[in-house]
Amino acid sequence: MNNKKLKRSLLSVSALSLIALAGCSSDDSSSEQADNSNSEGGVSGELEVQYFVGGYGDEWWKSTIEAFKEEYPDVEVIEHSGPNINEEMKTRWISNDPPDVVYIDGNGANETQMINDGQLMDLSDWASDLTFEGDTPLMESFISPAQEVDGAVYSLPLVFDTWGAWYDSAWFEAEGWEVPEDFDSWLASMKTIQSDAGIEPFITTGQYPQYFQRGVLNPAFAAAGGEELLNNLSNGVVEAWESDEALEIMKKVQEIVDAGLIDEGFAARSHTQTQMNFLMHETAYIPVGFWLPNEMANDTPEDFKYGFIPTPMNDSGDAMALVPDIRPVAIAKEAENPEAAKAFVEFMFSEERAQAFAESTGAIMNLKGVDLSANENVPEFLKGINDLINNPGTIEIYNRAQPTGEEMEIAVEITNEVKARSVDILMGKITAEEFVKAMADKSRELRGE
Amino acid sequence: MVQSKKQKYLFLTFCLLPTFLLFVIFTVYPMVNGIYLSLFDWSGMSANREFVGFENYVRMFNDEIIGKAIYNDYFFVVTKVIGIMILSLFFAVALTQLKVKEAPFYRVVFFFPNIMSVVVIGILWQFIYEPDIGLVNGLLTSIGLESWTRPWLGSMEWALPSLVVPAIWAGIGLFMLLLMGGIMNIPKSQYESAEIDGASEWQQFWKITVPLIWPQIKTSMIYIVITSLNGSFVLVQIMTNGGPGNETEVMGSYLYQKAFEDFQFGYGATIGVLILILSLVTVLIMQFVLKREKVEY
Repeated sequence: MNNKKLKRSLLSVSALSLIALAGCSSDDSSSEQADNSNSEGGVSGELEVQYFVGGYGDEWWKSTIEAFKEEYPDVEVIEHSGPNINEEMKTRWISNDPPDVVYIDGNGANETQMINDGQLMDLSDWASDLTFEGDTPLMESFISPAQEVDGAVYSLPLVFDTWGAWYDSAWFEAEGWEVPEDFDSWLASMKTIQSDAGIEPFITTGQYPQYFQRGVLNPAFAAAGGEELLNNLSNGVVEAWESDEALEIMKKVQEIVDAGLIDEGFAARSHTQTQMNFLMHETAYIPVGFWLPNEMANDTPEDFKYGFIPTPMNDSGDAMALVPDIRPVAIAKEAENPEAAKAFVEFMFSEERAQAFAESTGAIMNLKGVDLSANENVPEFLKGINDLINNPGTIEIYNRAQPTGEEMEIAVEITNEVKARSVDILMGKITAEEFVKAMADKSRELRGE
Repeated sequence: MVQSKKQKYLFLTFCLLPTFLLFVIFTVYPMVNGIYLSLFDWSGMSANREFVGFENYVRMFNDEIIGKAIYNDYFFVVTKVIGIMILSLFFAVALTQLKVKEAPFYRVVFFFPNIMSVVVIGILWQFIYEPDIGLVNGLLTSIGLESWTRPWLGSMEWALPSLVVPAIWAGIGLFMLLLMGGIMNIPKSQYESAEIDGASEWQQFWKITVPLIWPQIKTSMIYIVITSLNGSFVLVQIMTNGGPGNETEVMGSYLYQKAFEDFQFGYGATIGVLILILSLVTVLIMQFVLKREKVEY
């Protein structure tokens, strides 16, 4: 009883800010409903799209919406976008009046939470009928497959993002440094650079240790034990943390630390500060995602050439591991114009849009078989990565399956613990043994064992 | 002309009602709602929430980071109260009593950090502490103390004390002005007669200045405590993000992490209630401890 009243008053208070933020979208819905009738098999009416604007900019979204409007002139697209859009649209989601389409990326947006809260539409049946460029089923055309939660698909994986190690290939070439392919050659490479250039060759942001977790540890877990180990460790399975593989991986980390290869001030630095250091050749390797060149475009020296490898934590002979960090697109369960929303989502997954994405963002859409080699506007490093992904063998792709419900809460706490302990081990405060013991203890505690 | 009672109350209502309404909407309501939300398991992102009673509170009492955050918060409180009070009192006395010619200039300079955004202060001090190009390490190197240089904000031992320095630096100006106001209200004649009686400047300070500006000192201290418990998280968030590890986590930054990054809004609200209770208790204790008879000469 009180619940309703309080909710209503909460809403009225937030209405003030809502009006300011999303005023244009609060048109009366009755006329909207009437407009949504499908005329002659086409779709029409208003379509609200929420998309976060981060390292990849908004050029692709703008051009996609323009192209969509040309094909669907009866649809009026209302854009909600910006770097803080997830915060700004929060009240709409809380009041069950969400936009139709949402691109899930950036701070304050989390797919697992949205699925847990029942905010996304079940797309399973609809998506299974979609095709990519008219031939292969779309669901089989993804580099990283659509995530299934209890057999249902709630989002389509749009942006193929992944973490890895970056280096300046021009600098490496000039100095004659070899690009590593496994852990041993990486360690050797870092030692060479250390003595040649007199720098600590590895940096990662200590303020946001998730960069180290996702950029170094996750690929290491995947390389050592595949998706099973990756997911078990990330989900806090006690036995996984007590396994030899986990210890071996942390011993590799400790080896890097003991050799003095890590920037001394890493713990004090934010991600942008570490990235600046990297651009200024104060360090040689940095684990970041695909967005790095775009994010640092204004500060990149002219002779700097971005090189990217899957973080070489693998043993020699094994394939290098990539753990994608997919940015999906979804349709709200409460979407007011689901037909237009479906048309728009389907429209995004085309060869033309994928080419445009690589051109404008320097990253790739999550689609196999998109040939970027002939596209002059796509950066070289991306063509290389695209080739590797489409010709498996040297690198393997492992997917992190996000857990739901209570398992999700455990995974959140495990992530926090990994972040804290990562800083400890990188600073040399704890050993590999202490790291895995702390993680096993935490897992046990969270599982009430 | 004598006002009727009705007129008087009407006038009072006219003056108080708008403020009261704003207070209810923007202070009382969020506070009550925060307490209410602490009883729910809620992501803070959707209309779904589940009533869980005191589950969040049980969890909070078993959360080891909470203990660390409380310690860090009170480290801030104690060091800030001591640091700001000593320095602002010193500057206030110096600028009013010592006949410094450039007093108005210094008054403006010391107040400067107060008109700067905390965000700017945080970023500024991040540069000062920068391991390679920062002022602190640069100064230490130039005077031959190279062995003392370190990544201040990236050191488990030094990160927290390093955060206190800008917090104190930013706080001096306001309280200096507050105390100067008090000092300037003390009649000159009292210092003159004390001097004739042979009291040293030190004695004058302890026997005249401090007792007479005690209300201002007390207000300043309580104000520092409250703003510290509620607001030190801004500097933390900008300068260290609670790190390295969880070394500089304060209750506010942990609340933010839980409510807005881990999508555990209910638990975040619970931490908010803890901050509210601790602030109230601390202020009550301070009121009691700092109670003194009002002095008039």
